[in-house]
Amino acid sequence: MLTRRTFVQAAGVGAAAFIGARGRENSLWSMIEPTLEAIEPGVICLASNENPAGPGATVLDAVKTAFGPVGGRPGRYDGSAGALIEAIAKKQGVKPENVVLGCGSTQILRSCTHLFTAKDKPLVGTIPTYEECAGYAEMMGHPVRPVALDANFKIDLDKFAAAAKGAGLVFYCNPNNPTATYVGARATRDFLAQVAKDSPDTYVLIDEAYFDYVTDPDHATHIPIAIENPHVVVARTFSKAYGMAGLRMGYAVGHPETIKKMAEWDAGGGTSSLNVLAMRAGIAAIQQDPAFITAERARNTEVRDFTMKWFADRGMKPTDSQANFMFVNIGRPAKEFRDACRARGVLVARDFPPFEKTHCRISYGTMDEMKKAVAVFEDVLKKKATAA
Amino acid sequence: MPVSRRGFLRLIGADGAIDGAFLSARGLEAHFAEAQAQGQGQAQAQRTRPVLPPGVEEIRISSNENPLGPGRAVLDAMLGKFPEAGRYPFNSSPTDSALMSALADKYRVKPENLVLGAGSQEILKNAMRAWVTPEKGLVTALPTFENCTGFAKKYKLPIVEVKVDSMMKLDVESMIAAASKGDAGLVFFNNPNNPTATVHGAKTVTDMVERIRKASPSTVILIDEAYHDYVTDPSYETAVPLALSTPNVLVARTFSKAYGMAGMRIGYGIGQAETMKKLAVLRMPYNVSVFGVVAAMASLGDPMHIATERARNTDVRAFTVKALTEMGAKPADSQANFLFADIGMPAKDFREACAKQGVMVGRDFPPHEKTHCRISIGTMAEMQKATEVFRSVLKSAMSTAAPGAGKGGR
Repeated sequence: MLTRRTFVQAAGVGAAAFIGARGRENSLWSMIEPTLEAIEPGVICLASNENPAGPGATVLDAVKTAFGPVGGRPGRYDGSAGALIEAIAKKQGVKPENVVLGCGSTQILRSCTHLFTAKDKPLVGTIPTYEECAGYAEMMGHPVRPVALDANFKIDLDKFAAAAKGAGLVFYCNPNNPTATYVGARATRDFLAQVAKDSPDTYVLIDEAYFDYVTDPDHATHIPIAIENPHVVVARTFSKAYGMAGLRMGYAVGHPETIKKMAEWDAGGGTSSLNVLAMRAGIAAIQQDPAFITAERARNTEVRDFTMKWFADRGMKPTDSQANFMFVNIGRPAKEFRDACRARGVLVARDFPPFEKTHCRISYGTMDEMKKAVAVFEDVLKKKATAA
Repeated sequence: MPVSRRGFLRLIGADGAIDGAFLSARGLEAHFAEAQAQGQGQAQAQRTRPVLPPGVEEIRISSNENPLGPGRAVLDAMLGKFPEAGRYPFNSSPTDSALMSALADKYRVKPENLVLGAGSQEILKNAMRAWVTPEKGLVTALPTFENCTGFAKKYKLPIVEVKVDSMMKLDVESMIAAASKGDAGLVFFNNPNNPTATVHGAKTVTDMVERIRKASPSTVILIDEAYHDYVTDPSYETAVPLALSTPNVLVARTFSKAYGMAGMRIGYGIGQAETMKKLAVLRMPYNVSVFGVVAAMASLGDPMHIATERARNTDVRAFTVKALTEMGAKPADSQANFLFADIGMPAKDFREACAKQGVMVGRDFPPHEKTHCRISIGTMAEMQKATEVFRSVLKSAMSTAAPGAGKGGR
């Protein structure tokens, strides 16, 4: 049961507004409480690479405003998609025709996979990587060409470029989920040039979901290449640093021809896949003071450094994390670790073959959450692992 | 129970200043209402609106929405989810699978009988992807809800559009004939039909399904019941039990209409597990937001809201039908929250004249765009104002049409 008390405690950012609202309209809360299920108090979710602090006051205020007067906007189809596209275009220094919206970047990844792979045009992706494209390609009966990561769990660019020859689509997740590693901007540009030269009909989808968390100094978006080269698309999401996973909003930036193809196949809009709160939140998020993202990156970096050091001090080597999660060799099956942590109120991620016998992906929560989580990890990891 | 504006504004912590912000948000909405940027290019769609005289508020009766929105219980539930805006729907409370279970309970079925959509449009779109091919086309009506038709045209898939009959009802016999040749992948049967608002009774639908199944068992029949909750015709029943007992039949439902959540994008399909499996694989993961999940859950727990909304709509619909009939317009039998009326003039002229007075009515619906207009049912207060506008527009059209007719025109 989500009680009023746990709700207010859980509220974090924006809580003050709720406490205020509660003060004024106390009776309204009581109507809904019995229907809500429990957020188990104290459970720490480090399983889904979310921003634990949520979207922040500016965005939540925009969501509140989106409720509007007289019954509320949720009752109406909303026409904000055009305004959101313009806001994104302005922020990224591109034109509206370079942008298409999606219900999370999921819709973007699906559109690219649908349009650019075929029975004779495989999808190329690393093993492991974010599974959306490969899953969709398999469902369509399109071949998937897997490429192993290098010894540091980074994309092996030479192997990747070789595999790209004749492929329909290369899924280039950078930073890569679940390994958290990052390929520098210069190396990525070289890779794109190589693919363009060796296999000019092959599309490359660069998933920059974790872009805002990167601290590697050789860091830049590949949007400038995407808007020039019809075979390169950049996917972005509001689900990570912007803290809006629950709202479902993402987008792609690319050449107008490519964006047009994607939009014709499947585009997010107010009468299709995009809800009014997400669109209004997206506009507020993209227009807010960039200090929000700077602060979120700094917060994440601090928690990351703390957590990485904790594991390294205990002889467990995480990969070079450039995201809001880590991939760490815990010397035992992820499932065993996960189940034991879950029993103690900490949720970590699912299996990521072929490393499920040794590695676990752990998202960074707040510093407070991570301090509690490592105490649980300590407890779980001091027990001898069963034979893998 | 309609949410009171004052109560709602107070609830969300609004003082006078925020109220202003809300009004401007509404202005923004109006500004972009036509720019439903569903596809690229439409983002730059028309953004100009007639400038209304001071004091005249826009009445939007163009999109078959519930003018009162989702109701207080639902709005409260959504406000309670602000702390979880950053969580994926599978990590929120309730989770998206809890919504599936709640829907399964409502229909006494299993979750595998259901597929969630970002609005029922995702169900329709994925039904086209699953069952319509260059060899196996779409059988649909004209006019009807255009989602499936638009998809078929865009991808040059075979399509048979069966014109509605003289009563503006779906021509069931002709649709059965078109679907019985063995080359139909999907039949789209919108009941009540948008934009004509007419409905077919349960016996007719059951008979149609039986006959199509007999002639062409591989043809899938999609019955879109978006306006189910507004039907008052006693011969009508939902086709959900039929879908659950018959292979290759599914029903699409939405929270966008009587449930008042068009902005939240939640719909679902229901049918036999074997049928739904084909849609389940195409379902976009995490397609319903954290706010949408909790809103849908809360509304399922508030069935009185739907009964109240149906009664309200029935009253306002009767008022509107009577008013239009008195003006000489001829509405088809409306079983939905909109009506399709023969106004004796092009919809475009009528629409533009009404818009000048702040009343936004439906778009063109060929082949009836020269004579018919679709009008959604707003609140009683809105429809009282709107029918006054209709009266003045129709009156001036008649007075200008008469001399024009004699001169032969240009």
